[in-house]
Amino acid sequence: MTKGQERKKQPKKALKKTGRVLKPELSYKVEVTDKDGRVIQREEGPSRSYVRQWNEIFQLQAGAVASGGVVKDTSGATQTGAYRSSRSFHCDAGIGYDRTGLRVGKDSTPVSISDYALGSPLAEGASIDQVEHQLTYFTGPLVVGSTLSFTIQRSMVNHSGTPISGVQEIGAYIEFTAAMYGRVALGFRDVLGSPFSIPDGGAITVTYTLKVTA
Amino acid sequence: MKRTLWYSVTVRDRHGKVISRERRRSRSMLGNWYRILYGMMITGCCSMVHTSGNSWGTCYLQDNWDFRGDADVDYKSIVIGTGTTAVTIDDYKLDTQIMQGTGSGQMRHLASTPGWPSVVGSDCSFLTSRVFLNNSGGSITVRESGIYCRCKGPTYYGYACIVRDVFGTPQAVPDGGSITIDYTLGITA
Repeated sequence: MTKGQERKKQPKKALKKTGRVLKPELSYKVEVTDKDGRVIQREEGPSRSYVRQWNEIFQLQAGAVASGGVVKDTSGATQTGAYRSSRSFHCDAGIGYDRTGLRVGKDSTPVSISDYALGSPLAEGASIDQVEHQLTYFTGPLVVGSTLSFTIQRSMVNHSGTPISGVQEIGAYIEFTAAMYGRVALGFRDVLGSPFSIPDGGAITVTYTLKVTA
Repeated sequence: MKRTLWYSVTVRDRHGKVISRERRRSRSMLGNWYRILYGMMITGCCSMVHTSGNSWGTCYLQDNWDFRGDADVDYKSIVIGTGTTAVTIDDYKLDTQIMQGTGSGQMRHLASTPGWPSVVGSDCSFLTSRVFLNNSGGSITVRESGIYCRCKGPTYYGYACIVRDVFGTPQAVPDGGSITIDYTLGITA
């Protein structure tokens, strides 16, 4: 047996894996209040997932991509001319604006890495199955001990005249740039453990906490 | 939810033979990573300390997070050092950085560009890799690595340390040898 053959026969050494686990965390809290502001339904837990667009948009920034980036927008169209931009990740949506910011919907399909939109998002308005989107509200980054965190929160009010039942998905629509400013992609999405019902005059409030622990 | 950052370290001798290797989950994305994200999300600004030690902050800007590295550049991209101080959330630079050069304790920094993201199964990840050559005439022991990226505050451009790791095992790079650092940022649905 030659030396080369001997070398090939030796089992490959496994890569050494040690150390503590990195802890970048995303978690959510959902509350439904009635028209008097009483909390009538609530759920919180760890977020199921960022989706692929989150990493793709981050890579546009990290690689200083000037053209040719590929990101699917929330309409399902694949934008092939994406590039880095000062608008990447923007989701500071104002009142009545449902293209970006936190959204809710009625689909319960499990999250997939290739999700590009909520399955059945509630639109802005005061008609059947519509909600009035309030300001997307941020708290600034705060360091406590070895953890830094900040939150994104948005309330959506039901003035449709009837309850809206079966609300079971939440997520964030974030901006990116391709050909022009203002393209929108899904950043993360979660399916709730149980369906929520928003009474007429009530509201649903979604809070995401982004956290990293060193 | 699984969002992970892995790094691997590969040390080669002057003949290209692998003499040491380590792979672990990154010890930490630092607070600065999230401070830049916050500024981008609100299209506003946030306080932050740059690698220079100046509190120049960060605002939304197209250059943010750019961590491509040109050859011979030691102020951006993947960087390495000899420090062993434990990672803290507010680290703003490596403990003791190994600078570009061929003098004693210096290493040559090769170019680095983040790869394109790829989706395999329920994972989406991309790799950034950088090679450092030791032509200093002596052995250099590398004990930490990190990522410096471009950023800008309300007034000044600068650089931010967004990742820092202290190796589980110090990696001695012989004269004529090299060390390769790979960072893989992944998301699993």
